[in-house]
Amino acid sequence: MPYRSQKKSIMDNKDYISVYFDDEDPMLQALRRLKENNLTIIDVLTPFPVHGIDKLLSVKRTRIPVGGFIFGALGGILAFWFMTWVFTVSYPLIIGGKPFFALPSFVPITFEMTVLFAGLSMAAGMFLRSKLKPDIRFKPADERITDNMFVIVIGSNANTTRESIRTVLSGISIIEIR
Amino acid sequence: MDEQFIFSKQYRNILPILAAVSLVVFLLAVVLSGSGSARIWSNILLNNQFFLGISLGAAFFIAVHRVATSGWQTVIQRVPDAMTSFLPVAFILMLLIYFGMNDIYAWADSEVYEGLTGAKKIWLNIPFYFVRMVLYFAGWIFFIRMMKKNSESLTISSDLKYHNRRKIFAGLFLVFFGITVSASSWDWIMSLKPDWYSTIFGWYVLISMFVASLCFIILITWLLRRMGYLKVLRSDHVHDLAILLFAFSIFWAYQWFAQYLLIWYGHLPEETSYFIPRQHEFTLLFFLNLGINFIVPFFGLIRTSSKYNLNRVAAIAAMTLIGHWIDYWLLIMPETAGTKATIGLPEISMTLIYACGFIYIFFRTLSHGPLIVKNDPFLQESLNYES
Repeated sequence: MPYRSQKKSIMDNKDYISVYFDDEDPMLQALRRLKENNLTIIDVLTPFPVHGIDKLLSVKRTRIPVGGFIFGALGGILAFWFMTWVFTVSYPLIIGGKPFFALPSFVPITFEMTVLFAGLSMAAGMFLRSKLKPDIRFKPADERITDNMFVIVIGSNANTTRESIRTVLSGISIIEIR
Repeated sequence: MDEQFIFSKQYRNILPILAAVSLVVFLLAVVLSGSGSARIWSNILLNNQFFLGISLGAAFFIAVHRVATSGWQTVIQRVPDAMTSFLPVAFILMLLIYFGMNDIYAWADSEVYEGLTGAKKIWLNIPFYFVRMVLYFAGWIFFIRMMKKNSESLTISSDLKYHNRRKIFAGLFLVFFGITVSASSWDWIMSLKPDWYSTIFGWYVLISMFVASLCFIILITWLLRRMGYLKVLRSDHVHDLAILLFAFSIFWAYQWFAQYLLIWYGHLPEETSYFIPRQHEFTLLFFLNLGINFIVPFFGLIRTSSKYNLNRVAAIAAMTLIGHWIDYWLLIMPETAGTKATIGLPEISMTLIYACGFIYIFFRTLSHGPLIVKNDPFLQESLNYES
C-alpha cells in the first residue's frame, strides 16, 4: 500500500534502508518502535491493506469519498433529469398504462447511474492522485516487495545506519535489512 | 475489565411503575375512545411483533458474527445476548393471541376461511397456526439457549470447546431461523390479509427486525457508556455498529422498494390491494416510514466522522427505532383496524408497557453476569480492534 508516489526513488538503495518482514504483526510492532525513536519512515509497502497503519503513519484521510459523493449525486441527477426529459418532453410513450412521469420506474436507473458515476469517479480519482497511468515503467528494487513481503523504507543518514536500525528493532522477527 | 452491570433500585422501581401507569392510561384510553377489543388485540400483536423482532434480531446478530468468526463485537457481546432473554416472554404473549384470533385474523372467521383457495386452507387454520408458533419458538429458544449457555460457560472456563459449540449452534440457528423467520412473518403479519401475498415479505420483515435490533443495541451501548460502563468501548466499535446500521438501512430501503416497484408496475388488483390503502389513507406515515428509515440514517451516517461519534449514531438509532415501529404499525394496523387506524394514546401507552417490560428483562439478565466475557477467545482481538 504505497501512500506516496515516489516509487522510482526507492529503487536505488543508497539513501534508504529497507526492512523486510513476512507478517503484518512484526511490521506494525517495528513501525511503533521506529516512531518512538523518531526515525523518518519514507514508505511502507504491504501486500494488502493493513488496519490501523494510516493512523500510525499519520497519513491524511483520503478525500476520494467526497469526490465519490459529488459525482454520484451528479450521476443520479443526470440520469433522473434525462429520463424525465425523454419520457415527458422528448418522446412521451404510454407504457403499461403508467403516467409519463412514472417516478418509481426511474428509481432503479437513477440508482445504477449514481453507483456507476461514484465508482468510476473514485477509480479515476485514485489513478489521478497516485499518478498511475498506462505505460508506467517501474522496476522494483526487489521483486519480493511486489509479492508477499512487508517492507518499511527508512531514510538513512550519518546516525541512521543498518546496524543502528538492527539494534532498534532487536527482538522483532525481521527477514532482512538492506 | 471486571465490569458488572448493577441494575440499580432506581431503575428497578421506575420501570414497573411506568408500565403500570401506561396500563392504566391504555385501559382508560381504550374505554374512553370506545374502541373495541380489536384495537386491544391489534396493539398486542403489533408490540409482540416489534419486541420479538428486536429480540430475534439480536440473536441473528450474534449468530452471524459467530459464524463469520468475527471478533470486534466481543466487548458489546453481552448486550445482544441479554436482548434474547425476552424470547420466552414473547412466546407467552404470542400464545395470548389465541383469545383475539377472531378480532384480528380475518381467516379465523369461517366465512372468510371458506373463501380461501388451495393450500391456504391447509395453512391458515387455528390449530395449525399454533402448532407452527410452538415449533418456531421451540427452535429459536433452544438454539439461543445453547448459544448462550456455552457463552456463559466461558465466564468460568477458558476451554475452547465452548466456543466451538456455540459456533455450531449459531450455524444451526441461522439455518432454522432463515426458514422460520419467513414462515412466521407470513403467519403472523401477512395472513392478516389472507388473499394477498408477496414473496419478498419474509425478508422485508427480517431486515426490519434486524435494523430495529441494531438500533436497540446502539442505544443500549450509548446508555451503558453514559452510566459509566463499557470503558473498553472505543470509537472503532461504534464505527462498526454505525456501518451495520447504515448498510442495513439501505438494504431495508432496497427491500421496501423491490416490493413496491413490482406491485406498482404489475398493477394487479390482488397485489395492489396491499399498497393502495396504505398509500392513500396513511400517506403521511407511508412516506414518513421511508424517510425516517432510509433518508435519516443514509444522510446522517454517510460521513466517516459521523460514524465514529457515539452520540450522533445513538441519536440516529433512536429515530430509526421509532421509524421501524412505524414500519410495523404500517404492516399490521391498516389490516386490523382498517381506515380508522391511528397512532393514538392506546398505541403509545401499549408500546410503553412493552418497552418497560423489555428493558426490565434486559437489564435483569445483563446484571446476572459480567459485562465482558473474560475468556472469550475473541476478546483480545476486540480490545485491539481498529476499524
